[in-house]
Amino acid sequence: MESTPTLPIPISYVSGRYLLFSIDAVTYLRREHNICGVLIGTLPQIPQQNVFLGLPLELMPEEARVLVDKDVACIVDEARAHDGMRSRLEEDRRQYLRDLESQGQLATRMLADRKDQQREQSLKEIDEKKAKGLAAKAAKAANAAKAAADAQNAASSTSAATEKGEPKSVFAGEDESSSLSRTTGTSTPAPHQAMGVTPTTSYPLLPHPVSSSAQYLPKPEVPLSYPLFAHLHSRGYFLSPGLRFGCQYVAYPGDPLRFHSHFVVVSAEWDQEMDLMDIVNGGRLGTGVKKGFLLGGPQKRRDEVESEADRIETVRTFSIEWAGM
Amino acid sequence: MTSQQTQITSLEPSALTRLIDSASASGNPLAATTIQILHNLQHQHLWTSLEIHDISETSIASDAPPTLISGIPPHRVYTHPDEQLYMLEKGIAEDDLRPERLFVIPTAQGQSWSLRRMAAAFDSLAVLEVSQSEEALSIGESVDPEKAKKLDEYYERKAKARETKEWGSRRALLAMTNRGMGGEGTVVYYVVQEGEVKPRQN
Repeated sequence: MESTPTLPIPISYVSGRYLLFSIDAVTYLRREHNICGVLIGTLPQIPQQNVFLGLPLELMPEEARVLVDKDVACIVDEARAHDGMRSRLEEDRRQYLRDLESQGQLATRMLADRKDQQREQSLKEIDEKKAKGLAAKAAKAANAAKAAADAQNAASSTSAATEKGEPKSVFAGEDESSSLSRTTGTSTPAPHQAMGVTPTTSYPLLPHPVSSSAQYLPKPEVPLSYPLFAHLHSRGYFLSPGLRFGCQYVAYPGDPLRFHSHFVVVSAEWDQEMDLMDIVNGGRLGTGVKKGFLLGGPQKRRDEVESEADRIETVRTFSIEWAGM
Repeated sequence: MTSQQTQITSLEPSALTRLIDSASASGNPLAATTIQILHNLQHQHLWTSLEIHDISETSIASDAPPTLISGIPPHRVYTHPDEQLYMLEKGIAEDDLRPERLFVIPTAQGQSWSLRRMAAAFDSLAVLEVSQSEEALSIGESVDPEKAKKLDEYYERKAKARETKEWGSRRALLAMTNRGMGGEGTVVYYVVQEGEVKPRQN
């Protein structure tokens, strides 16, 4: 399960959106890099009628940028990448069918293996029972010698035990021979035995051609709030879009499935004039939903530094809560 | 009742208005805000040992707030959630603790504000806190030896937490007074802390 996809992970850039189509990449980024994104896949005809959305996963530009900056991902222009793939379609189809068949064979083999295991288990149990029966017989025989009055009953019970035991051993012998013949049969599975497999995804992803970094798109354009995003991300926070709480980001101290969020986050430039009322609004809103209001930003302007990375180091933040007085 | 009210308003300005008027005469336009908030802390929230600190010299930024207020609140205003947990485990009540001086940044609604100003206020707070810390330690202790021991442990733990910042870092109250609506005198207070400090379990 803990698979690591080959790095850098290609992020598909489709009409202004950063998308991920591979479930392996999605789980890996969530597990190792605190990137959750937003699942946006739905039913094409009736988009309102499903409770859970699926792949693809859309990333905020900030998330894509953080990953590219860490050399974990790269941005691929989907439209351009698809042109090169068309020639490979027929080959891919055949490859896909071959994959399906081998998966089916694997499933058949696993099923056969499990059957064998179960058979061996039951055989063992029968053997144990037989041994117990013999021991009981010996004990009963001793008892019979001791008590003459009970001899009749004891004899009948032991005979019953032997009667029960013998037919079982006969069956067991049969089972053994049949299982042996079957295992020899499954070790070299005939192609017609392969099971029909319904894969969880309708098509496998097209293989990502290992291309040089020159073919990748440049780093994603990010809003002015990116330094604060990167700062919080580097501190281990999971960040999700903040529209739901009327802010820029919602910061979770761990995976959002396990933790309540700690902050509603708003970024500002160092000299950006702000209305004090915004702080009251944010403080009240945060306290109202049991969160803190986090206000922060980089001390340097964009025109003062060479790259965004220099701004991230200068971020200062302030946590604000209603004092209740 | 109504006639009485109109009588009062027509008589003369309130004590607060006169207090602010006298202070504003000094020339600093923000002095009125400071005075009003100090007055509110003193009489509505019953703070004691109130002081006004002039930070216009210590702060680097020229547009930082020129003054800070500090005082001792009758009850604790803020307890970090982890600190609260520790106190619960050790069976320490908030009333057992010695009072702490808390800083207040006075502002008025409509006043322009920025991260730079906030940071400047916090930077000057760092300078002020150093000079204040000795005073806090000199206050006398309770008589019960068992409780005194517990409290000593707590203060030791707190000093350690201050260094690691696990119970939050520097904090101050941001006070905002109302200026619209004829200035009806509302002052709101928000706890501001530097860095990412997890919220309280309200």
